[in-house]
Amino acid sequence: MSTGENVAEAVEIEQLSRTYQRKRDEQPRLALDHVELRIQSGEVHGLLGPNGAGKTTLCKILSTVLLPTSGTVRVAGHDVVTETDAVRRLIGIAFGGERGLYTRLTARQNLMYWSALYRQSSREARTRVGSLLHRVGLADRADERVETFSRGMKQRLHLARALVGDPRVLILDEPTVGMDPVAARDFRVLVGELRTEGRTILITTHDMAEAEAVCDRVSLIDGGRLVATEDPRTIGRWLSAYERITAEVVGSDLADRLQQLPGVAAVRTEGPGRVIVETDAEGACAEVLRVLVGAGVTSISTGRPTLEDVYLKVVGDRGLVVR
Amino acid sequence: MRAAIGDNARVLRYAFISAMADLRAIYTWRTWTFAWLLRMLAQVSMFALLGKMLGSAARTQYLLVGNAVLVMAFAVLAICASTAWERMAGTLPLLIASPTAPFVVFAGRSVQWLLDGVGCSLVSLFLLAPLFGVRLPMPAALLVVPLVVLIAVSVYCFGLVLASIALRAMRLRSLIANTGSLSLMVLAGVQVSVSFWPAPVQYLANVLPLTHGLQAVREVLADGRLADIGRQAALECSVALGWLVLAGLAFRHLAESGRRDGSIEFGG
Repeated sequence: MSTGENVAEAVEIEQLSRTYQRKRDEQPRLALDHVELRIQSGEVHGLLGPNGAGKTTLCKILSTVLLPTSGTVRVAGHDVVTETDAVRRLIGIAFGGERGLYTRLTARQNLMYWSALYRQSSREARTRVGSLLHRVGLADRADERVETFSRGMKQRLHLARALVGDPRVLILDEPTVGMDPVAARDFRVLVGELRTEGRTILITTHDMAEAEAVCDRVSLIDGGRLVATEDPRTIGRWLSAYERITAEVVGSDLADRLQQLPGVAAVRTEGPGRVIVETDAEGACAEVLRVLVGAGVTSISTGRPTLEDVYLKVVGDRGLVVR
Repeated sequence: MRAAIGDNARVLRYAFISAMADLRAIYTWRTWTFAWLLRMLAQVSMFALLGKMLGSAARTQYLLVGNAVLVMAFAVLAICASTAWERMAGTLPLLIASPTAPFVVFAGRSVQWLLDGVGCSLVSLFLLAPLFGVRLPMPAALLVVPLVVLIAVSVYCFGLVLASIALRAMRLRSLIANTGSLSLMVLAGVQVSVSFWPAPVQYLANVLPLTHGLQAVREVLADGRLADIGRQAALECSVALGWLVLAGLAFRHLAESGRRDGSIEFGG
């Protein structure tokens, strides 16, 4: 792994803000708003948020392709603005999708190319590239052009490319976008292996299940603000607590009874006889269903909240406290 | 220092491999010969025919030689498109975030057009000159080969500067390349002598690639003195070096301004 100072915190972000202003007469748009985050060495940290939440902006700043508007960001103790070269030697980047590869080159040529960019000697590069191709399961297709690869194979090559410089900090921006379930599972296994090697990994995702599977901690980001940083199991509990039940042909008396049940956060009426019940405690959903069925209601559906729903709840509960 | 040179040489080597892979994907030898080269030969022939129609052997030679060398520039300035491919392929942010200056990659990324351009130019010159009755003094005329290579490198350096602009203004990349090639066509002594233009335009022509190299080619074919040929070649080298330095600064500016304004997107 690339050497850097042996600091406990691989990533330190203090009061980080970033605004965009494409044109002079345009109102600046705030993409990151006073973000504070510390990621320990060897930690797998998930960054969850909807599109436009600021996840990619944060990754771009950590990758040195974007400057902060204010605040400081350090990778392994090196400032991303003033010690760019040092940071670039310590990081590896992969993003989802099929872009970011030279599709007319073979997998091996791609990795050799990037190893040259990471200043590795030819001998070192040959050894490392060979072992990475084995690791991501592409050794048998190493000398075929990337344009003939499936999407999943390209994603694996992406990850190998990110590892070619033997990075201490890996930045993975939506790495499993478009992956089939098998490839996504293999990816999670690989992330686990990388963690055991002591690499620090920052991974952005929409997928709570993925975050739960691979992350030590997860930060929720929304509207450029870090809403919460928690153990992924805690966020998983929030997801299971917040459920939504929709029922048809429900009278106002029954709606009032539902409102009184413990763990029911809200009961909304939408149209004649249609109610939406939102719960915010584990077990509340089952009780609501029992009452509805007991009252003879048969048109019932339940749904897990989206991440956005959870953000709203979290924002409401915490009053936008930034951790 | 030696290590840095070795590192950059390895990057250039793989950039070259990538460039050749692109060339192979775009052309087979048949499509290059019977489509692209034929189109270039037609262009040079058209201008040579204008000279014939004017009834002037000197005019025919002037136009044929000028346009035979110019077609190389048309090919080489495809560098604007192939540089822009890096942004379209999503590799630009990864290059910027790597420990190597992106300029090194871009310097080697489009060398396929050098081979293409030099090939078009030399075939045009050595095939069409006899057909149009233009004398090629042998073996001195063979000196044209290294001169065309030199001009191609010079145009390539100029193209790198244009490419850095095209990388910023992707939608204008064809316009930028065409403006560059048309400027050379009009100002660099291809159709009319540089002295035809008013003094300020002549100053501009003298810092453009092609101008001095083409003059050196004309000197060779006119049995000119070696000193004059060498002087023009040296001026072409200086112009190339100037554009190369400017290109290095332009790519650095591209990376830094992109970091400031957020125009370097992940994935594209």
